[in-house]
Amino acid sequence: MSTMSRVLALLLSLLLALPAFAQSVVKTDNVRAELISDVAQAQPGQSFWVALRQTIRPHWHTYWKNPGDAGQATDISWTLPEGVTAGPIVWPTPSRIDVSGIINYGFEGDILLLTKITLPANFAGSTLALAADANWLVCDDVCIPEEGKFSLTLPVGTAATAANAATLALFDQARRKVPTESPWPARFGVAASGDPTLIVEAKGLKPETIRDVYFFPAEWGAVANMAKQTAKVTADGIRIPLKKGDAKAAAPQQIAGVLALTEKTADGEHRQAFDVVAKLDPSFVPQAAASAGTVEGETLSLWQALAFALLGGLILNLMPCVFPVLAMKAAAFVDLVGHSRGEIRRDGVAYTAGVLVSFAAMATVVVALRSSLGDVSWGFQFQSPIFSLLIAYLFFIVGLNLSGLFEIGGRFAGLGQELAGRHGMTGAFFTGVLAVVVATPCTAPFMAAALGFALSQPAPQTVAVLLAMGLGLALPYLALAMTPALQRLLPKPGSWMVRLRQLLAFPMYASAVWMVWVLTQQTGADGVLYALGGMILIAFAIWLLRIGAPASPTRWARRALAALAVLLAFAAALKVEERPATAATTAGGPSSAVSFDGWTPFSRARVDEAVAAGKPVFVDFTAAWCITCLVNERVALETSATRRAFDQTGTVKLKGDWTNRDPEITAMLKQMGRAGVPLYLYWAPGASRPKILPQILTEASVVSDLTSR
Amino acid sequence: MPQLTVPRRSFLVGSAALAFAPLAARAAADIGSPAPTFVGTDSNGKSWDLAQLRGKIVVLETTNHDCPYVGKQYRSGNMQALQRDAAAKGVVWLTVAASAPGEQGYVTAAEANEIVRQNKAAPAAVLLDPQSRIAHAYGATVTPHMFIISTAGILVYKGGIDSIASTNVDDVPRARQYVRLALDEVLAGKPVSDASTRPYGCSLKYAPS
Repeated sequence: MSTMSRVLALLLSLLLALPAFAQSVVKTDNVRAELISDVAQAQPGQSFWVALRQTIRPHWHTYWKNPGDAGQATDISWTLPEGVTAGPIVWPTPSRIDVSGIINYGFEGDILLLTKITLPANFAGSTLALAADANWLVCDDVCIPEEGKFSLTLPVGTAATAANAATLALFDQARRKVPTESPWPARFGVAASGDPTLIVEAKGLKPETIRDVYFFPAEWGAVANMAKQTAKVTADGIRIPLKKGDAKAAAPQQIAGVLALTEKTADGEHRQAFDVVAKLDPSFVPQAAASAGTVEGETLSLWQALAFALLGGLILNLMPCVFPVLAMKAAAFVDLVGHSRGEIRRDGVAYTAGVLVSFAAMATVVVALRSSLGDVSWGFQFQSPIFSLLIAYLFFIVGLNLSGLFEIGGRFAGLGQELAGRHGMTGAFFTGVLAVVVATPCTAPFMAAALGFALSQPAPQTVAVLLAMGLGLALPYLALAMTPALQRLLPKPGSWMVRLRQLLAFPMYASAVWMVWVLTQQTGADGVLYALGGMILIAFAIWLLRIGAPASPTRWARRALAALAVLLAFAAALKVEERPATAATTAGGPSSAVSFDGWTPFSRARVDEAVAAGKPVFVDFTAAWCITCLVNERVALETSATRRAFDQTGTVKLKGDWTNRDPEITAMLKQMGRAGVPLYLYWAPGASRPKILPQILTEASVVSDLTSR
Repeated sequence: MPQLTVPRRSFLVGSAALAFAPLAARAAADIGSPAPTFVGTDSNGKSWDLAQLRGKIVVLETTNHDCPYVGKQYRSGNMQALQRDAAAKGVVWLTVAASAPGEQGYVTAAEANEIVRQNKAAPAAVLLDPQSRIAHAYGATVTPHMFIISTAGILVYKGGIDSIASTNVDDVPRARQYVRLALDEVLAGKPVSDASTRPYGCSLKYAPS
């Protein structure tokens, strides 16, 4: 009886298991196609992956989603049970296939077209029958449309079980060939000719390690497939001049596609690919040939750059960022009405000096940063939330002053406003400084050519161009101060001056609001709390100082309280800095550093300690500029399955950041016989020597290393 | 623009042109610009000069009779219907057999005529373009690749025959008929709404370069 039932059970289980192996294969003249699954048993409420595997006859090819200048993408239509859904095809990175000058995007050899299948939680059946109708065009010199009908039946149970190891390995490799989401923002500009140029802001890359850069546009129309691409890789990023496509419509708002490149690491070459969505940047107008922004940007002579910079400085006066400062300046000028000519002239000169000194200081910082970091972006000071907060305070205080809440008596110490608001030459000087500080974020879009030139030139030229821009910024006011004929055009002093001053407070408040918004971009919603709270404290302090007679006995108490309020307001600045940015920081920042989330910084001592304790240790040597490292982290180290494996095995996760040539890491690399990153080391529990993992990681390989004993 | 003469007269000029710019020449045809001129010989030995067709609307259709995308249009009868309608309205329809010798779709004059007969096709002529010169001049990449030239000799349409890129005959009635719509607009003296569409089909069989 028991033998009988066991045999029956065995037969039954064989019968059930059989459909899982009955993978549907279609053989045509040119392609062997097969529908495979990464699970042997599916589970309700869960997703799994299936793939149409095409083994293509040598020298023949099938097509990508954008087939290029001819051809047609493989198409799969699914027939699925009620409630079961199939995602779109997740395409591997295509190759360029040149058929006597006609460029096609497609695949040769053995490929997997991945599709995600999702079962509803209430899926009732004990088996899942998938049916797919696939059409593909396969070509060498000639093209043949082929098709296949596929069916795959899987058992459904309470827990999913994985397919066999060979199948899993296929899926693993296939996932490795799918482009990952781009870690870098991208934008494109359109030249006068209509040709777009794509910029991928991959800052800090090492150009000499990267070749064969190619952008595969995701669809027909915006970009001509046939044109040759000559991508340029610099420390600023990747620049790919493209040819416009045949779509008749106006320039698109975005261009999507896949960026593929080959990175040479110390131990080999790796093909990497990223999904890129570039937004139209209207302020970026690429030059026909080499642009001024690039290293060989000789299209602008120094004199041209100086002229542009002067003009640009003049135009800056019309920019919204400078407007609040102009409002201050106008208010100050109104105050000066009726003063002596000499005084007005000195005021103008002091303002100009303030502007020029700030530009010179900025130029110095730029030159210094460039020599140490190799790259610097304009407007960098606005990336600091502390700076944003302080500027917001400053705008607010100047606004209060203009509104007439308090007069400047030289009493308040420690506030930037005091310097900028003080009458006379010092005040004018610091108004100039303020104008520059506030103007810089405006300059980038409008001054791209001259700034690009300035930033790419030797130090003296950089300084000269920036000074010319400063002169342009100061020029209108300087001209007004120096020319009595112009001053005569100003109205006579009167009560209108007070009203104008009060009116000018509003642009200051608006600017404060804008800075608070910038702050929220940097710190998240908490920034608003600290900024507005700080402003209330500052207003409170000013009110405290104004009430009561100067000699009243509470004077010192009020002063102390005011000082405390101001201190608290500024303590908010420290609080702001402590908060990690929850939203993206403003564009154009320094290259994103290596993330240590969940990882401990590498040190020799930490390794030795953990190894001695018999713990498993995993060390990831990486660098911000190493693309392969980045991809490995995304597809293999930071996936949920790998994290789980790390957690379950109690592995000590150490990360060495080699972005800036750490000597301890260099020594370790050398000891392992490596010249550079990526390098992955794994000490199994109790092992004294590490296993060196391959440079290309997959989730499955890492998990298997971690969990195999 | 170069005066292209196909196939005999300008052997020297032609080979020089081929040697110089196999690809550059293909980017020439822009919507709204004068269509590249050409002189071609048809399957009956008659010479066709685009310049002398000024005053008439001209349609160019690249073809390769063995290409499944061309086959779809002829099996469905769509291409022949377009050709007949065009002829009835005074439009000159030129089918261009642009495959190089030895490549798929290459035809002799007699073969070209036989294909027309079998398909019951109705073009004004089948131009023989074995050196792919006309195709080069227009930047054709596929068969069928369609072009419409206005009475003033301006290129007013380039692209696909219709909107569904497939070899399935059933898709023809479902597709947006770009060429038919464009022809109707040109005949009505209106600007073409979809003047440049995605061409689809087999890659054009240029001579290996």
